[in-house]
Amino acid sequence: MGAATETFYSVIRRQGITRRSFHKFCSLTATSLGLGPLAASRIANALETKPRIPVIWMHGLECTCCSESFIRSAHPLVKDAVLSMISLDYDDTIMAAAGHQAEAILEETRAKYKGQYILAVEGNPPLNEGGMFCIDGGKPFVEKLKLMAEDAMAIIAWGACASWGCVQAAKPNPTQATPIDKVITNKPIIKVPGCPPIAEVMTGVITYILTFGKLPELDRQGRPKMFYSQRIHDKCYRRSHFDAGQFVEEWDDESARKGYCLYKMGCKGPTTYNACSTVRWNGGVSFPIQSGHGCIGCSEDGFWDKGSFYDRLTTIKQFGIEKNADQIGMVAAGAVGAAVVAHAAVTAVKRLATKREDATQDT
Amino acid sequence: MTRITIGPFNRVEGDLEVRLDVESGHVVRAEVTAPLYRGFEQILEGRPPLDALVLAPRICGICSVSQSVAAASALRDAMGCEAAPNGLLATNIAHAAENAADHLTHFYLFFMPDFAREAYASRAWHNATAERFTATRGSAAREALPARARLLETMGIIAGKWPHSIAFQPGGTTRAIELGERIRLMSIATAFRVFLERVVFADTLENVLSIATASELDGWHAGRAGDFAHFLGLADDLSLARLGKGPGLLMSYGAYHGLEGELFPRGIFGRRALIEPLPVNQITEDVSHAWMRESAVDPAHSTTVPDPDKPQAYSWSKAPRLSGQPIEVGALARQAVAGQPLVTDLVSTSGSNVRNRVIARLIETARIALAMEEWIKELRLSQPFCLEAREMPDGAYVGLVEAARGSLGHWLAVRAGKIERYQIIAPTTWNFSPRDSFDVAGPLEQALVGTDVGDAGSRAVAIQHIVRSFDPCMVCTAH
Repeated sequence: MGAATETFYSVIRRQGITRRSFHKFCSLTATSLGLGPLAASRIANALETKPRIPVIWMHGLECTCCSESFIRSAHPLVKDAVLSMISLDYDDTIMAAAGHQAEAILEETRAKYKGQYILAVEGNPPLNEGGMFCIDGGKPFVEKLKLMAEDAMAIIAWGACASWGCVQAAKPNPTQATPIDKVITNKPIIKVPGCPPIAEVMTGVITYILTFGKLPELDRQGRPKMFYSQRIHDKCYRRSHFDAGQFVEEWDDESARKGYCLYKMGCKGPTTYNACSTVRWNGGVSFPIQSGHGCIGCSEDGFWDKGSFYDRLTTIKQFGIEKNADQIGMVAAGAVGAAVVAHAAVTAVKRLATKREDATQDT
Repeated sequence: MTRITIGPFNRVEGDLEVRLDVESGHVVRAEVTAPLYRGFEQILEGRPPLDALVLAPRICGICSVSQSVAAASALRDAMGCEAAPNGLLATNIAHAAENAADHLTHFYLFFMPDFAREAYASRAWHNATAERFTATRGSAAREALPARARLLETMGIIAGKWPHSIAFQPGGTTRAIELGERIRLMSIATAFRVFLERVVFADTLENVLSIATASELDGWHAGRAGDFAHFLGLADDLSLARLGKGPGLLMSYGAYHGLEGELFPRGIFGRRALIEPLPVNQITEDVSHAWMRESAVDPAHSTTVPDPDKPQAYSWSKAPRLSGQPIEVGALARQAVAGQPLVTDLVSTSGSNVRNRVIARLIETARIALAMEEWIKELRLSQPFCLEAREMPDGAYVGLVEAARGSLGHWLAVRAGKIERYQIIAPTTWNFSPRDSFDVAGPLEQALVGTDVGDAGSRAVAIQHIVRSFDPCMVCTAH
């Protein structure tokens, strides 16, 4: 805990972070937020002069995947110091204090920074049986959540659990796991869904709030527009194969090796709003579709109860798009299934793919 | 006698509460509570079996690949199919990366920061330890986190994203690795080796793995740099080998299934230091002290239904037993069953304890770093990575794997193409189990008894060391 006048910059410097890395962080953040180059100096200026905002990070019913994602952010500063720079005053998973000492930090922050701190919530409260499916410090988590929310400036709902309920709220939802906006109704809540959310999205959102002292622009569902305004499908690198009616029919089949569209394998990219196909995962290395598996739509509300994840040939109409996969395939190839692949054999894509295959023979 | 409660525990995965009865400064009885339950087994019932590949990994954000691999393994059993050899190798590489990352997280972020506490300010090593390992501020995390993040780029290449990867299927992995990707995998494995050799061990992995006895280890670490030696130095000073004795029995389901069997074999390391075969059908779950309704004891036939008002119960975790006995699982068990020379010698001479658990984890990390290099070389890029199988006859099936923290089993019953029952026994369910109907305590409960807490009560740091030496994953425990 620092004094109220402490700035982020002073915290950073105390951690031994160089001024150069600090500026690099600012420009990368500006880029990832989709802001122009001038924004970098605005961010730097804000972090140097504004008093830092304390962040309390609480865990309810969850699996810690959001924290896991967060600490692997590719930002150069994150690995150095994000945990201290963002000044997590309280985080069950990584902090030093334990037990009642930790509880005391919560109380102190609440009193000292009344109305000024950010409450970041990972997981959600289960309401069945008086909340006893998630007991934290001898009390149901929902009580701790309500208490800390009361004096928070705003709340970040990390991940699908806090935003929508996620798999633990899947039918029959044995514990009545409940998204936090159903429990906290009088505070601004920013939803950062995904299971987990992308690390760069998490750091981007939190840096925006800390820098500008306000929430980023949200869509109707409470998600930051800068990261959740596009469908995975819109920016998917396999999109051209969807348009050409070229589809994978089985895992690792000939079409899979050619990188065809995974729609028939149950891909939910066309109905999922997230930044996976642009920001990507694990340091920008890849994302689920790139691994050859369809998107499961983990940032969408109710993704866990929309029928099997492996349903094939689901009609696109159901998703509210123009044509279903087979119709598109038929337009392209005059037939479905094998004929789609046969058609593809004469396309340039096929020739490129063949070349690539030659190059990947055993060495 | 006084009763003290410790919780919530920080720096463990999920929520944990421990109650201790203390008499003249020593723990005489311990109760371990898993206070978090979500109901995955109930949620999985009635769904299409393959949906387990998406739902089950979400039990845990830290060992999600282990959950994926266990689900895929149970489904493979159900489909009576084989996995493509490349798929097994790719799975092994990803699984090894996750397990190694978990071991690093445990050592750097969860376990070592306790030695930076003020309670140790008078020790000769304290300044150096505080500089290196203080939670969120120590210099070690700044080196370990990037190394770990780099290692986990493996997940990007093989599995698209992590945690909660979906590329692991009964027939293998969904993605064929390309030549350029193989080269990237190799460079990641090499970077990981360099990190281990430079920062963790200050020696080559081959040299570290040639240490065969406890006394050789003492000779090796004297005067050596590196975080492993740093730990060994303070472990000797604090006699951590005398802390947190396990129940004596160690179990491994066998890890990293390859074409020629497992890298680390399946078995039990018994009290007389003999390695015996594992009688899988002797695995049972007792619910006498869990907030759960009575059901069959055999996980292949049992169901999980909460009973929150049950008298006597104190945890959401069931009590798994092997042939009626509590058993310890984890890297120590895996390496003892695998006959790793140093770990075998350590366990034979001083049993399972705080020091040996940490040593076994780091020794295992060195072993899997080497194995990853081999698996990457063995990939045959033009061969299939995934084989198709569709049929899933009615019946009861099982998938047994080793997660970083120990033995993980998924028991699956299929009826008319739907999941009839699904039971999961996770590593920490074994280690942090409550008492059974014979009032026999679980491994951690036994390990805590006898601990000297002095006047410190709930602040006694020894308790923290013992609890964390098991590297608990509480969200897996009761799921």
